[in-house]
Amino acid sequence: MENSKRRFLKGTCALLAGATGATLLTTVNAAESAKAEAEIKYAMVHDESKCIGCRACEVACREVNEVPEGVSRIEILQTGPFGEYPNQFYHFSRKSCQHCEDAPCVNVCPTGAAFIDKETGIVSVDAWKCVGCQYCIAACPYQVRFINPVTHAADKCDFCRETNLAQGKQPACVAACPTKALVFGNLKDSTSEIVQVLRANPTQRAKVALGTRPKLFRILAKSGEVVL
Amino acid sequence: MSKIKWLWSIRLGAIALLLSFSAASAESPLQINSDAACMKCHKRNGSMLGHHGQDTMKMSCSSCHGEKGDHPKKPNDLVVFSLQEGSELDKQLAVCRKCHTPKKLSAADWTHNVHAKKVPCAACHKLHSATDPMAEMTPKVRSELCSSCHAGKQE
Ligand code: SF4
Ligand code: SF4
Ligand code: SF4
Repeated sequence: MENSKRRFLKGTCALLAGATGATLLTTVNAAESAKAEAEIKYAMVHDESKCIGCRACEVACREVNEVPEGVSRIEILQTGPFGEYPNQFYHFSRKSCQHCEDAPCVNVCPTGAAFIDKETGIVSVDAWKCVGCQYCIAACPYQVRFINPVTHAADKCDFCRETNLAQGKQPACVAACPTKALVFGNLKDSTSEIVQVLRANPTQRAKVALGTRPKLFRILAKSGEVVL
Repeated sequence: MSKIKWLWSIRLGAIALLLSFSAASAESPLQINSDAACMKCHKRNGSMLGHHGQDTMKMSCSSCHGEKGDHPKKPNDLVVFSLQEGSELDKQLAVCRKCHTPKKLSAADWTHNVHAKKVPCAACHKLHSATDPMAEMTPKVRSELCSSCHAGKQE
């Protein structure tokens, strides 16, 4: 009796010790991978007070990412004119993927084609996994996804992940913008230009109430308007 | 000595012949280009090939550039259309606005609204060439035109 009790206690102790060790190990692993994940988190700012509506960004994106005519990864939306002749002005805003941290497109994708790149936070599409069901297109609250007529897969802005970024360059739209209205960079790097810009300016993001945690920031144009 | 002179006269003659050929081939049948008073001197840099030169428009050089006045003496009252070397902005704009109302310009392209009274029309438009570079631009050419002034500017 004594013996079996002791053996039972010993066994439990060993089990507990082992379990704790294992948990410790897994926590260490998790911490390590979390650390690795956390190094880069890409985001973009569109400074609407600098944008002149030249659409060089649209042109550059189409060229670099081989986006066919009729569909687009980025669109500059224009409202206006405001004011009286000859002092009229327009407002421009950028319509493109917001690289949501909690991305509805990724959450609904049945094949895993829509995914968030763990190393950069970029929301992207694995074209070869996409079956074209269009759930993601329906789920995206920002209506920026489309079926690419050439690849027949869902497509959208991927911060030039497979093109310019892979070659160590700035995204095509950012490089093309003549007024430097677009700033791209790493939110985790406190010395990056984007962090400085975000610190120095009041910014807005679209539809934050949905909980998607978008990473496309806008700096509103100074002369604000009320559109009825 | 005389041989050298003779050679030169042949050379000059050949050049003159070539020039007259090229001038003849560049000559257009449009009425506006037979305005002898102007074309006497501006045969090469004055021919009007674009939309505004069409006979049905019944325009002459002076319709836009104004009366000759003291020209070619300076100063004179002729209107010169250019961003860099043109007449005063208001003077240039007034000529175009005789026909092109802000309303019509606005309907034609939104960029007219934001540049109104800021740059002369000739900053973008060219009237003498057969086609205005602003007609049928690709989006790329158009955005490059914007950058040619706006590059690096903090708006
Ligand atoms: S904006 Fe749309 S496509 Fe982009 S990550 Fe969010 S839900 Fe997905
Ligand atoms: S980041 Fe790249 S893919 Fe996205 S809009 Fe700009 S050019 Fe297009
Ligand atoms: S290139 Fe820059 S200035 Fe031009 S439309 Fe795009 S964001 Fe605006």
